[in-house]
Amino acid sequence: MVHQDYKELLAAKALTALDAEDARALETHLESCVDCRAELVEWEQTAAFLAMDADPVEPSPELRQRILTSVSRAARDGEFAQTGTDSFATPSRQTTESRVLPFERPGARVSSWGSMQTIGAIAAGLALIALLASLVVLWQQNRESQSELARVSTQLLEANAQLSRQREAVALITSPGSRMAKLAGTKDAPGAHATLAYDQNGHAMLMAKGLPAVPKGMAYQLWFIKDNKKMPGKVFTPDTAGNGMLQDEIPSVAREAGVFAITLEPESGVKAPTGSIYLVSAI
Amino acid sequence: MNRRVQPEKEPESDVELLHAVARGDEGALARLYDQYRVILFGLLVRILNSREEAEDVLQEVFLQVWKRARDFDEGRGRPFTWLVTLARSRAIDRIRQLGARQRLADSAAQNSSEEASDAVSDTLHAEQREIVARALAALPEEQRRTLNLAYFEGLTQSEIAEKLGTPLGTVKTRMRSGTIKLRELLGDQMKGLLGPATN
Repeated sequence: MVHQDYKELLAAKALTALDAEDARALETHLESCVDCRAELVEWEQTAAFLAMDADPVEPSPELRQRILTSVSRAARDGEFAQTGTDSFATPSRQTTESRVLPFERPGARVSSWGSMQTIGAIAAGLALIALLASLVVLWQQNRESQSELARVSTQLLEANAQLSRQREAVALITSPGSRMAKLAGTKDAPGAHATLAYDQNGHAMLMAKGLPAVPKGMAYQLWFIKDNKKMPGKVFTPDTAGNGMLQDEIPSVAREAGVFAITLEPESGVKAPTGSIYLVSAI
Repeated sequence: MNRRVQPEKEPESDVELLHAVARGDEGALARLYDQYRVILFGLLVRILNSREEAEDVLQEVFLQVWKRARDFDEGRGRPFTWLVTLARSRAIDRIRQLGARQRLADSAAQNSSEEASDAVSDTLHAEQREIVARALAALPEEQRRTLNLAYFEGLTQSEIAEKLGTPLGTVKTRMRSGTIKLRELLGDQMKGLLGPATN
């Protein structure tokens, strides 16, 4: 068979409809033909769309849990991200692109110099194979490193922002004349507690822990209460662990003998409290 | 004034999801399942004609995705193609093991009624489904039948020739013409809908 004959088998190969003999012949040809390998990818994509001719069917809801449980078990056993060979594995893993043969001159007189050259050529060939293999490994590692780097950079930015907020809190707490109020969780947030630190100018920092997650569109809002007058503070959303930090300014009237509270409100904040109280300082 | 501790995230692409799975992110696998369960399960029910076997195979497929996500090479196709190819090849292996082809062929009528009663709407991929349905409807009946026998029943060209009582050469021509026409009809319409093959 010539190249064109193999090309004509590619569509049937993508449907896995080739008879054994054709399949074997094409497999051998694919090992050395980059052009046909690339075309096969296109046919496989076309074939995959046939899946959409099957009516969509919903599996039982229990199956999702069964799959996630089996995956968790596999993860605990350290079974994930194995490398194998399938039709989508990188070509470098399964093809013979790096097949290198030593040079040989037919009819040349075999001398010790000639054998040295042959040995040298074999060594060079082996070195080239090793070099190509390590390049492939480096290329893969680089790709993985880049996505890891992006993830770590995001984490670092978040950690830096958190650190700078914590520094501000420490500066506030250690400034002369600073005060702290403890806020305790109510029946709606029995595991929550918070500290509100503020200085004589009213610069305040709230640090809350153990708050329940907020529904979409909602946030926690800080209130300054004095003589039954409720003055609105800012809103904040806790992280997934229920921790939240907030910087605000306490109105001058509330700095002496004021009460501080946190309620659940629409995320844009409200002028007068409408939701339940989650945290409140001692009255 | 609203200080958010966690920034809002863009929805992940399928490629990002598979990379996350390769890093051991179980949540990413769950999201991939949610996105493709209806397509893949529909495909498996059509091939295996049994919900029970289709559920077994779908579980094997996602366990395989978990273990082999690192093998996925976006330079060689879309995640959609990878998932569908994995699922189909597992299902075809299963019917070959069961020696169930005859059963499948005999129960074709029952098959279609069972599917119809279970069919749901696949809102995530409705537009793609419509394009595929239109493309298949545009193929001559004998080409469509040849592609269906290969794709959903796992028959080889010789087996199709025998089943239909048609010369092998004719089956080969129909299969090749059918896939070429299908590729032309789907063409660029699909590219934007399932994301780039490479990125």
